[in-house]
Amino acid sequence: MSRVLTTCIYCGCGCGLYLVSDGKKLTGAYPSRNHPVSRGALCVKGWNSYEFSNDLNRLTSPLIKKDGKFILASWDEALELVVKKFKHYKDTFGSDSLAFLSSAKTTNEENFLMMKLARAVFKTNNIDHCARLCHASTIAGLSLAFGSGAMTNSINEFEDAEVILVTGSDTTAQHPLIGSRIINAVKDKGAKLIVIDPRRIQLADMAAIYAQPRCGTDVAWINGLIYVIIEENLYDRKFIEERTEGFSELKKVVEDYTPEFVEKITAIPKEKIIEAARLYAKARKSMIVYSMGITQHTTGVDNVASLANLAMVTGHIGFESTGVNPLRGQNNVQGSCDAGALPDVYSGYQKVTDENVKMKFEQAWNVEDLPSKIGLTVTEIISAAGDGKIKGLYIMGENPVISDPDSNHVRKCLSKVEFLVVQDIFLTDTAEYADVILPGAGFAEKDGTFTNTERRVERIRKVISPPGQAKADWEILCEIAGRTGYKGMDYKHPSEIMDEMASLTPVYGGINYDKLEPYGIQWPCPTKDHPGTPILHKEKFTKGKGTFTPRTYIQPAESTDDEYNFVLTTGRIYWHWHTRTMTNRTSTLERESPEPYVEMNYEDAQNLQIRDDQLIKVSSRRGSIILKVKAGNIVPKGTLFIPFHYREAAANILTILAVDPVAKIPEYKVCAVKVERI
Amino acid sequence: MKISKVKIIEKEKIKDLLKEASQEWDVYVPQKFSDGDVWMDQLPEDRQLLDDALENVMLEDADTVISPKDIFFPQLETILKFKDDKILETPEFSQKLIFGIRSCDLKGILFSDDFYSRNFEDIYYKSRMQNRLIVVIGCLKPPRPACFCTSANTGPFAEEGFDLQLVDSGNSYFVETGSKKGQEFIDVHKKFFIESDENFDMTVKEIKIKAYDSIKLKVDFQEALNLMTQDSFIPEENYRRISERCIYCGGCLYVCPTCTCFNVFDNFNDKDKEGERLRNWDACVFEGYTREASGHNPRKEKWLRTARRYEHKLKFDYKLTGMSGCVACGRCLSSCPVNIGMSEFIQEITEKRKIM
Repeated sequence: MSRVLTTCIYCGCGCGLYLVSDGKKLTGAYPSRNHPVSRGALCVKGWNSYEFSNDLNRLTSPLIKKDGKFILASWDEALELVVKKFKHYKDTFGSDSLAFLSSAKTTNEENFLMMKLARAVFKTNNIDHCARLCHASTIAGLSLAFGSGAMTNSINEFEDAEVILVTGSDTTAQHPLIGSRIINAVKDKGAKLIVIDPRRIQLADMAAIYAQPRCGTDVAWINGLIYVIIEENLYDRKFIEERTEGFSELKKVVEDYTPEFVEKITAIPKEKIIEAARLYAKARKSMIVYSMGITQHTTGVDNVASLANLAMVTGHIGFESTGVNPLRGQNNVQGSCDAGALPDVYSGYQKVTDENVKMKFEQAWNVEDLPSKIGLTVTEIISAAGDGKIKGLYIMGENPVISDPDSNHVRKCLSKVEFLVVQDIFLTDTAEYADVILPGAGFAEKDGTFTNTERRVERIRKVISPPGQAKADWEILCEIAGRTGYKGMDYKHPSEIMDEMASLTPVYGGINYDKLEPYGIQWPCPTKDHPGTPILHKEKFTKGKGTFTPRTYIQPAESTDDEYNFVLTTGRIYWHWHTRTMTNRTSTLERESPEPYVEMNYEDAQNLQIRDDQLIKVSSRRGSIILKVKAGNIVPKGTLFIPFHYREAAANILTILAVDPVAKIPEYKVCAVKVERI
Repeated sequence: MKISKVKIIEKEKIKDLLKEASQEWDVYVPQKFSDGDVWMDQLPEDRQLLDDALENVMLEDADTVISPKDIFFPQLETILKFKDDKILETPEFSQKLIFGIRSCDLKGILFSDDFYSRNFEDIYYKSRMQNRLIVVIGCLKPPRPACFCTSANTGPFAEEGFDLQLVDSGNSYFVETGSKKGQEFIDVHKKFFIESDENFDMTVKEIKIKAYDSIKLKVDFQEALNLMTQDSFIPEENYRRISERCIYCGGCLYVCPTCTCFNVFDNFNDKDKEGERLRNWDACVFEGYTREASGHNPRKEKWLRTARRYEHKLKFDYKLTGMSGCVACGRCLSSCPVNIGMSEFIQEITEKRKIM
């Protein structure tokens, strides 16, 4: 047997865990006692993270689709075909007829290579990944305000906060070990908790103030809080003067957001607005925690920018147990962004439009003509594939058929695209549309690094070999590059890829594998002797002065009407992970929640004469699904919640393809639906 | 009357003893990993790896995250393989030397032995455990801050059930023999042991008393058992408060030396008509654990599932066997992300105060 310290594959907490193997398969997962995040504990997904890798239905050989059927192929055949097709499209229709979807489930090194493959080899910036669907608005919003789109503080600081404002994050379910810090702060150390979330989440039960806003009204209540803070003179004059700009504009915009006005928009009682504003502003150590409930809106950037305004107006940023703390969803969604798997930036958020940056990468990669036109985003890539503008699409470790909005549209587009390559560990719904399937390696089958939500770059380690002929994603990408004739992607080990990334990426500049022992390091880490950075924006903001970015409230894209009279909001649950390709192969997790369901308020269920567990039909203007009802008090009257994990009744058949104008993040959190008994 | 001589082994001989024993036994011993975590792992067979592993052996102060129950009851275990219409059972029989466990963990092993043979004989458990030798090391100080063994009479030294027990006396260990098998082990490896005619009874006693006094966390364990075994005693308020806090990771049960629940499932490849039947650790805090086929769940509410854990450990186990299902190792608290511990529950109900 062997026991190896690695990093969990599930959420952005980045827990350190030990995987045990008998040489052939994984036989256990255990928490590290000394790791700063796990501290001897894991959530249920972490404890059970050993199981899915062993599944006998893993992809074990390349497959090529012939006459509608997948036929076993050799690596040579499959890779030659991919290279031939991609080269052909590039030569015939231009580089931008190609697109690449990278993966927040894979390593920093693999994301770096994916963007290198897209940019250096195929000369397109059409590269993006699921960060577009979760925290694109964070990167845009916080970059605007602070100059850096990452969590400002660190996980263990939650335990010493005096006030924690949680909004749009079901923290105990989605970031359980961070949720646990919040619980401990409240229960053991007397911290006061403010929860503002349309769903009555577990944390709501221990909140000093719990408010249930209408979905999609966040700018209004955040402006309402700022209104009260200014009105009651609770703002930090010194901080605003010394460290920020644009306060007078903010003051002007929020002046309309009286508690009465905000109550009308949000349904939050005005007393709670006032109380929450006072509580948050008066404490010295107040932390803001948010996640997809804030970001997944057509006003996602506005929401994020408004939270940044709130933190700056009270000076709650730049020191311990404060800050604006977006919780990144995927294990490595921070890292995949850091590594530059985005259409507008190279690694370290260096802009593709910057001539100097372009020259630096051209020199390092020994290529000419790196593209400087900003590429397409995830949803644009899918639509362009449907339009025929994208001819060759390469998807690594993503499952847009289940995860992207308006599934029927995604299916239509993928069935139309001329040539689709899918690289994954299981035959996903997306892979069904592929022309070539390449079997990748799971997180226990390769070396690399993940970057967790607190910017901690951590090692993952190879514990077992991939099944059959499956290969590590980085190896596959290198082989493709090599077969095009490009000589610059030849590595013996992922550590060499990290060395290259560090040399080109200032915030990762001092990072190498030796430095990451044993529990990683938090970026920015610009030099080899730098100890890492647990707290951002300490003396000054990354961009210099913080900028207030006032926003006015704008309604969600789709409102309810007489026919579509329920608001649907979607999200995740504790037991499953995203499109459930791993957790439905994990016995305990699958048993806990084996079926799709919709949460409905008791009163609505009673009025519609629907029993608990009854099957109903939920329809939007885009499609219908049939699933069981869970009646309760988690959602308010008039609102439904559906977890998006289940292919059997995919919530994203209902969601709307309406995106934030800046971040291009879809509005998963609000659309109009109707309910029918069947 | 035959006076048995006191056996002593010098600490510096332990590695050589383990090395020699590893030729005959699968040796499980606490080993410190490079990041400081300690795991009760099998020594490798490969010579070079064995020497490295022996360098990391850590007997004193070893705070292993999980109890050694996983040697006999692994987190994941294949119980049979099938192909077409053929079935092959896959029990594991190796001869195991369990070296350096704590007395609380010994209690846990004895509890599991009893459970897995009480109403039915679990051949997978039995085959793993039947050929074993257990060497306990007493704790001079608590390996975890959450330890409360003296309250439950489960430590810091074992009184019975071990084959050998080490009593730390500085540069060497006194070796107590608890079984014929233990004596035979000493006989086979006698070159590592020193025999002395001197009477060390008082020295050993003093060591044990000092060790006993080092356990600072005290709870009224017997009172808790008395309360819990009364059918009328249902501390619902405590259960509700704990369930509000609990994030349902299952950790307290996974790490518990006496938790024996498992789930059975198949890993099956349709294409090749073959697969395996496996079992893995289950936990009674999960909603699906008691969900019935109809969808009805007698323990649907969270507090009822919380109650089940405490009732199982402190009520039903005790009523049925006279042994408590808690061995006071404190691991549930050490592995709880939200600081819920058995010791704290006991304090809450016996001292009638709110801790969690």
